[in-house]
Amino acid sequence: MSFEAKKQQSIQFLQTFFIQLRALHVDRLERKWIALSLGIIGLFVGIITLDALFHGVNPPSKVETIDSARLHLSQEFAENNLGVQVDDRGQIVIRMVAGRYSFFPKQIEVPAETPLTFRWVSMDVLHGVHIPMTNMSTMIVPGYVAEVHTTFPKPGDYPLLCNEYCGLGHNHMWSNVSVIAKEDWQAPVLASVKKGANNE
Amino acid sequence: MENMSEEDRQRILESTPIGTFALMSIVIGGMVIAWLFLYYGVFLPRG
Repeated sequence: MSFEAKKQQSIQFLQTFFIQLRALHVDRLERKWIALSLGIIGLFVGIITLDALFHGVNPPSKVETIDSARLHLSQEFAENNLGVQVDDRGQIVIRMVAGRYSFFPKQIEVPAETPLTFRWVSMDVLHGVHIPMTNMSTMIVPGYVAEVHTTFPKPGDYPLLCNEYCGLGHNHMWSNVSVIAKEDWQAPVLASVKKGANNE
Repeated sequence: MENMSEEDRQRILESTPIGTFALMSIVIGGMVIAWLFLYYGVFLPRG
């Protein structure tokens, strides 16, 4: 069948469909319920969309790659460079590695009510990480660095949970983060901070 | 109910279902309020 013939057939089908749809009897009360249901959905979607627009919320667009098989040889994600650090501009950066079946380092301490930057890499398979009662949640895809900017409002002990099936031990894959009051937190002292290219 | 005349029956059948609208408003209003509370009170404060 030629393209024009298929196009005409599709138009004919759509016209027949909408004629039959308009001919359907829908009770007045049911119409009201449908209208209200659609109205509520529209209201919720509208609120979320407007909030996202005004607060600059959008999917991350930065694509940063890394060799997941050679993390230990990279400058940024070598074992002695993981954990909580304060960079030259005073920003707190947390570098973590996800691997079956834990997050490394297994215990970290961060301050509350302070902007934090998490940089996640995977050393094996696809993982997801979520800290309950916060908005720190991201997929960790092998070969890429996942960066999340967040702030923890309340001090306390939170688990870091894996929320993407990664193997038989997935349900045991978790570690801890202690959120400490801003005035009580002390920046960790490290010998040197390596934040250079991560794909060396 | 057994002593209802045909006129009364027709009047009731053709009248506006006020009870249904009241129930509809309560349910939908409650759902919207609950959603707004969870969104602005719980979700957004978590960052």
